[in-house]
Amino acid sequence: MATTALTPAYAGRRAGLYDWLTTTDHKKIGILYLLNSFVLFFVGGMFALVVRLELAQPGLQFLKESTYNQAFTIHASLMIFLFIIPILAGFGNYIVPLMIGAPDMAFPRINALSFWMLPLAALLMLSGFLTDGGAAAAGWTSYSPLAQAKYSGVGTDLWIVAVLLIGTSSILGAINFLVTIFKMRAPGMTMFRLPIMVWTMIVTSLLVLLATPVLASALIMLFIDRNYGGHFFDPATGGNAILWQNVFWFYSHPAVYIMILPAMGIISEVLPVFSRKPLFGYKAFIFATAGIGALGFSVWAHHMFTTGAVYLPFFSFMTFLIAIPTGVKMFNWIATLFRGQLTFSTPLLFALGFLTMFLIGGINGAFSAAVPVDFALHDTYWVVAHLHYVLFGGSVFGVFAGLYYWFPKMFGRMLNETLGKIHFVLMFIGFNLTFFPMHILGLEGMPRRIANYAPGQADWTALNLLATVGGFTIALSMLPFLWNVLVSLRSGPLAGDDPWEGNTLEWATSSPPPPYNFDRLPEIRSERPVFDVRHGTGKGGAH
Amino acid sequence: MSISRPRRSRLATIAALVAASVLVAGCNAVNLLRPPAAVTAQGHEISNLYDIVFAIAVVVFVLVEGLIVFAVVRYRRKPTDSSLPPQIHGNNVLEVIWTVIPTVLVAVMFLFSYESLNKVDAVANTTDVRIRAVASQFQWAFEYLAPDGQTVLFEQLAPEMTVPVSRTVHLSLRSKDVIHAFYVPQFLFKRDVVPGRENVFEFNVDAADAGQTFSGQCAELCGVYHDTMLFKVHALSPEAYDVWLQQQIATAKATPAPAASAAAGQTQLDLSAANIAYDRTALEAPAGQPFSIKFQNNDPAVTHNVAIKDASGQEVFRGEIFPGVDVRTYPIPALAAGTYGFSCSVHPNMTGTLTVK
Repeated sequence: MATTALTPAYAGRRAGLYDWLTTTDHKKIGILYLLNSFVLFFVGGMFALVVRLELAQPGLQFLKESTYNQAFTIHASLMIFLFIIPILAGFGNYIVPLMIGAPDMAFPRINALSFWMLPLAALLMLSGFLTDGGAAAAGWTSYSPLAQAKYSGVGTDLWIVAVLLIGTSSILGAINFLVTIFKMRAPGMTMFRLPIMVWTMIVTSLLVLLATPVLASALIMLFIDRNYGGHFFDPATGGNAILWQNVFWFYSHPAVYIMILPAMGIISEVLPVFSRKPLFGYKAFIFATAGIGALGFSVWAHHMFTTGAVYLPFFSFMTFLIAIPTGVKMFNWIATLFRGQLTFSTPLLFALGFLTMFLIGGINGAFSAAVPVDFALHDTYWVVAHLHYVLFGGSVFGVFAGLYYWFPKMFGRMLNETLGKIHFVLMFIGFNLTFFPMHILGLEGMPRRIANYAPGQADWTALNLLATVGGFTIALSMLPFLWNVLVSLRSGPLAGDDPWEGNTLEWATSSPPPPYNFDRLPEIRSERPVFDVRHGTGKGGAH
Repeated sequence: MSISRPRRSRLATIAALVAASVLVAGCNAVNLLRPPAAVTAQGHEISNLYDIVFAIAVVVFVLVEGLIVFAVVRYRRKPTDSSLPPQIHGNNVLEVIWTVIPTVLVAVMFLFSYESLNKVDAVANTTDVRIRAVASQFQWAFEYLAPDGQTVLFEQLAPEMTVPVSRTVHLSLRSKDVIHAFYVPQFLFKRDVVPGRENVFEFNVDAADAGQTFSGQCAELCGVYHDTMLFKVHALSPEAYDVWLQQQIATAKATPAPAASAAAGQTQLDLSAANIAYDRTALEAPAGQPFSIKFQNNDPAVTHNVAIKDASGQEVFRGEIFPGVDVRTYPIPALAAGTYGFSCSVHPNMTGTLTVK
């Protein structure tokens, strides 16, 4: 399916670096998103290693408490706001127009603007380290009054402005995705033929659109509190400390789904291709995704069970309910594997890693939905284990599945399978070594966010050391990955248009796709148009 | 068939091995993945609920992970697979089944947790044992209240709370600055200490735990020295508690002794504290004669003191706890030669060694 010959002339053709800095091509912007996110993933990872190094033994060996608090605050802020959320938006950016048969995003210049806010935000957030008081140190949740001017320095102001910028970028991106998906689908691409990845981007964008403005207003109020004597969140001046938590989590719980739904979308693309079967329960997936999105707005206070200031049964009930659509997805993924012909290429390995780890992350979350159990587990290392099983075991494994899957499309060359498998095995082992012991630490009562713990607790020392060894194993797993990417970019085997026998439209164009993506499209009669062409099924996706 | 038979049996062996190792690992994990033994009636309630949720979780995990492992082992692509596998798009009956079963499971878990919550969170407000924990950066203090819940009988500046077993203890939580959280792992319970609102909860320590001490710690990030906000809970028999309470009230009412000034010719050691740390970690004093420590607390509003323990851990001196910035001169009784440890009663991580010779 060679397409280059008929490619229309690209109006804004520019050379080299200048082209990358000024591009409005969704594919280049998507790659910029990935690059920027990965750089910040490694920076955030360094902070995690610093934290793990300090906790490897009781006592303070390497850091002062103040530095430690900055390290975990910036670790979480980078990973959440500048790695997971943007990298998934990056995949969406690259792949959504291709998947729906569109030449670009609806608003290419706004797309570029959305991206360029992110490196700026990262610089702002990290520049806190250059100020007298250091970077933000009140945790990524920035609870008031701790985040008020009385208790924290100008690093917190820089953090607020950075997160505001990222929020603005997210909102612009969400509008762009929604308009693109609703208005620019190719003929025949009906809503119920959209790849699940695109559906997850629809729901994610709606979440961003509804939730992020709430965070933005909360951040502005906090900024006013800190700098202009506002009285929103500080009880010392008549404000309400719990109000911050309500508005913060009204965004940040849906944000968990912003961080996981597109990863679920990636998994839903990878599993069918490497099983040589259609996704089991296509429509069930769509309803489950929408259900998770809708329920996601009614569970924010499960982060606040111990505040004594929320109506516990309601939020407990709604939190339990979310397990149902999530379970539906899990069973449909497994049913997709059943009776398939599985090829264990690296993308499938990471997808299977996602399934097994996200399962644990879902189950250990149910403990906290049972409110009295949460009284024991809240703010302990159990919660740290839970959130990493969801966001690392889930989202990050999904990110790597997507990267190994679409790398041939993006760069026209295959990644090395052996290095990919070494990467997967090391990361899988390192991940579980790091985060599984944290369940036990949490049960035994180790609170999160402490720089030091008493040497008397024999278990704590051993388990923390184990977690530190695991953390460095994860870091080690990045070496074969980086080497793989650098070598394959130059000299990997050529991928061809469709190396995996894919289902969706991105595999119907060349690798990498030309500017504006397609010169002609196959007929779209199901959710697997490329599969239909390959097997002459025509109605292969008809239900 | 002749090829598929040995493969089947090999698969069965692998499956059996996996199942066996999962079982063995599972049994060990069950012990590790249980909360510490609870010491309050409410804690037992939470522990029971944990066990129910844990049992359901294990079943779900083994079942679903088993399905994944089975699919991965059973449905790998074989070299003979040239034609496509059956293109199954879904099955509505299955969708209903795996929607309904989880719904029932979460409904059961919700009902159990709802019932348990009503017991754990119940505040009858009828008890006479009323204590108020006062948290601030970075220390705990405990006010013992009269039955009216208002009048402060006395204030314990050391981060040590003494409670009677068997009786209901009514604990209210007050913050002077940021949000803290009162957390005792063996209670299986924590509650935030939020400025601007007073949270309350009640608990009953088991009769069998009289004489025990439990460790507690702030569980909500509260600033730079969050990790130093430790406290202890001492459980006494009801009789011993009443005696202890009357003693404390009597001590509090007595006029404090005038600060002893160092007698002429007596050794005086200088010590100061800033940023939740002593300026020196080693002190030296003469054996067999009284001496004094002039202690300068340079942490504004933060309470410190100096307490001295002998090699066996027995406390031989505890100086007055006071907020900075201020200074006290502690008269220390004569000590036998040996090595002693000194520490801050409020911040147990502030330590040093006192050599007496």
